[in-house]
Amino acid sequence: MYIKDLYAISPQKTHDLSFENGDWKVLNEYIYKAIEPSYQDLIPNAQLRRMGKAVRMGMGVSLPLLGRNPKPDGIIFGTANGGLEDCIKFLNQIVEYNEGTLTPTNFVQSTPNALAGQIALLSENMSYNVTHVNGSLAFESALLDASLFFDEHAKEEKRLLLGAVEEISDYNYNIDRLGERFKKELVSNEELLDSETGGSYCGEGSTQFYLSNNPENSLAKFTAFKQSSHLFHDEIAEFVMRFLEEQNLTASDIDCLLLGRNGDVTTDSWYQKVEQLFGEKPTVYFKKSVGEYRTVSAFASYLAVRLLNGQAHYLIENGATVKPRTILIYNHFDAVRHSLILIQK
Amino acid sequence: MTEIVVTGMGAISSIGLTIAENLYSLKHEISGIKKAKHFKSHYAGSLVFGEIDQSDESLLEELALKKGHGFTRTTLIAMKAFREAVSHAQLSPEDIASTRTAFISSSTVGGMCYTDDLYHDANMQGSPSEYVKNYEGSDHALQIVRFYGMKGITDVVNTACSSSANAIAIGARLLETGKVDRVIAGGSDCLAKFTVNGFNSLRILSEEPCKPFDTHREGLSLGEAAAYVVLERKADVSDPGKIQAVFSGFGICNDAFHPSATSDDARGPRMAMELALKRANLSPENIQYINAHGTGTPNNDLTESFAFSKLFKNVPAYSSTKSYVGHTLAAAGVLEAIYSILSIQNQEVYPSLRVEEPIADFSFQPTLRYTPEVAITHVLSNSFGFGGNCTSLIFSACI
Amino acid sequence: MTTNREELIVEFKEHLIKYLNLLDLAPADIQNDVPLFGEELGLDSIDSVELIVLLDREYGIKIKNPTEGRQILVDVNTIVDYIIANRTK
Repeated sequence: MYIKDLYAISPQKTHDLSFENGDWKVLNEYIYKAIEPSYQDLIPNAQLRRMGKAVRMGMGVSLPLLGRNPKPDGIIFGTANGGLEDCIKFLNQIVEYNEGTLTPTNFVQSTPNALAGQIALLSENMSYNVTHVNGSLAFESALLDASLFFDEHAKEEKRLLLGAVEEISDYNYNIDRLGERFKKELVSNEELLDSETGGSYCGEGSTQFYLSNNPENSLAKFTAFKQSSHLFHDEIAEFVMRFLEEQNLTASDIDCLLLGRNGDVTTDSWYQKVEQLFGEKPTVYFKKSVGEYRTVSAFASYLAVRLLNGQAHYLIENGATVKPRTILIYNHFDAVRHSLILIQK
Repeated sequence: MTEIVVTGMGAISSIGLTIAENLYSLKHEISGIKKAKHFKSHYAGSLVFGEIDQSDESLLEELALKKGHGFTRTTLIAMKAFREAVSHAQLSPEDIASTRTAFISSSTVGGMCYTDDLYHDANMQGSPSEYVKNYEGSDHALQIVRFYGMKGITDVVNTACSSSANAIAIGARLLETGKVDRVIAGGSDCLAKFTVNGFNSLRILSEEPCKPFDTHREGLSLGEAAAYVVLERKADVSDPGKIQAVFSGFGICNDAFHPSATSDDARGPRMAMELALKRANLSPENIQYINAHGTGTPNNDLTESFAFSKLFKNVPAYSSTKSYVGHTLAAAGVLEAIYSILSIQNQEVYPSLRVEEPIADFSFQPTLRYTPEVAITHVLSNSFGFGGNCTSLIFSACI
Repeated sequence: MTTNREELIVEFKEHLIKYLNLLDLAPADIQNDVPLFGEELGLDSIDSVELIVLLDREYGIKIKNPTEGRQILVDVNTIVDYIIANRTK
């Protein structure tokens, strides 16, 4: 699966590439909100007026990508929660109006497949269209779907729009805060990994890739990926090493690690276990930039492609001079769901 | 082409707590759409639902699960149907847990089925509820993964009302490409204030039990169900007696017309059926029965009928089994796939109930009564959803 | 409660803009006799349901189904006349 193009809206200035060029935003907030560009020239008002944040950000990323690339043969998305704000707005209506007369827009916008459906609608694309909602492995599931699609169409050139989106609303922030996933005290994102407390900070955004099975002029490729929803702490090392073995690689072949450490002392030891397998490696802790959310591995993949193409090197710790050609991403959520993604030049 | 077969089925719906009970109701034209007993809502008294006749407490007890661990109704019915499917396919605990077994589920309401608890937590009204970590769409799947210690690939799909049809298609593709050796695919959706009020706000719920393909149809009836099938490569199945049916093909596309309505020319539904036929290497005249999407809304039944008229020279027998169980959302695709397989196995057509005056615009009409002794080799099963998602599946007799 | 027809028109248009989230529009931009579901505003079937909710919540008017609604929800004039004749709050 070759990556031809990519774009992201995130809590960093990825929308105009200044993040890639060294403009790193220090965040001193509980919620790392995405920096949204103006949508006025991109999305017709008749549609924009109904869109919740997830759909809006998703369209804000997909329309530029679709505009500068040929029509894709499929649209595949991953999102754990989709338009949660609309969802809870609708829920609040149910309770506050005691199941009376309710407005349907929130309901229609809240379905996680609303984004992929809107993209199909606005770009008049009737092709393959699936949304995966596999929690914190939703992007990995979308990746798997994309790889199946290319496996099936090995004989002809095919293109896919692959993406992920997650939004923060006050409501889901509340829910995850009650679930003790977020920190109660504030430190800046520069010190995120040294906080020595439980939980992390909440991020959001949409990351999308324009994929093809034709390697010509590609920026990088998704070489392999692996997921697990059931792993014990003492199995993680074998999980990683077996993955490398399956790709005929050893630890020394990895030029750079992208790790999902998020400053949560209760689960960061999983990352330490993986780091130990590689010794002193150039490493990027991507959640310092964008926080924790369920499809953040899509952002990590985005960052990997940038690093492979000589951008954003200032983020690399233990060896910023390296020119990586093989990058391994390891991420977990709640220490329950684990993902490995291998991206190569 | 690798042949994919169904080797196990499990289902719980308003017409039965097991496959056998579902089959009995289908044969005897027993509808499950009536006043709700367990579902608590303002509309429980005024609307009718396809409600599963088993309380949460009874489900917990039957599954030997403890209360207080975040098991939602979506999860409970999913676990029951999952258990029936894996037992039907004679999968051992080691088979289920294997890294070579994939689990592809689906749900629309997912973990958000207890609307009042979610309201409480989302608006921070006091200490967290039992379900504070269980609201995700994928929660039911994760609970099942945990219960069975499943080490393989998982996925959860949400393409609205075509979700579990897509779960089956994705499962088959994982087998075709050799990524896994067996797949458990399906979905679960329980009745919830969220969906009932959602569909009600769109004014597409019928006050009377739905009557798909009737001229005077007034909308859909919501139901709840969970169902799973076990898929394997035919070449891997040592005991041919296990094979329930062949999964011959699928078509997936998008109508790209409107967020919550099908295009007038039904281009999406038509394309999905055409793609499924192409993939199954069949032509329209090979199909003997269509298990229609048939929701009972004015828009769906008209456009779906129009698609039939364009695709088939002679429209085969068709019906909507949603007239028995209501629209079970994410579970509808797999439940109707199972009903399609039962049609093949028993060589009979389960009718569209309550149709008094079929839609007059067409020269064909749905099957109105239970019809035994019909030669059925290939069945087409349709599922269309909000967001324009269209999926058609084809199941065939195993020869 | 506004009883003056002109004031009611402005009030209704404000509700309309809020309920349908008509970005960039002010009450003065909406003509009283332009069909709401025509080319100009480009409203669709979901908007008609939103309008039914508006009439219920703001004016206590219950419209049972969108088909009945279509007779009333023609333009601002027809709706405001209907509000004056049928409002319960």
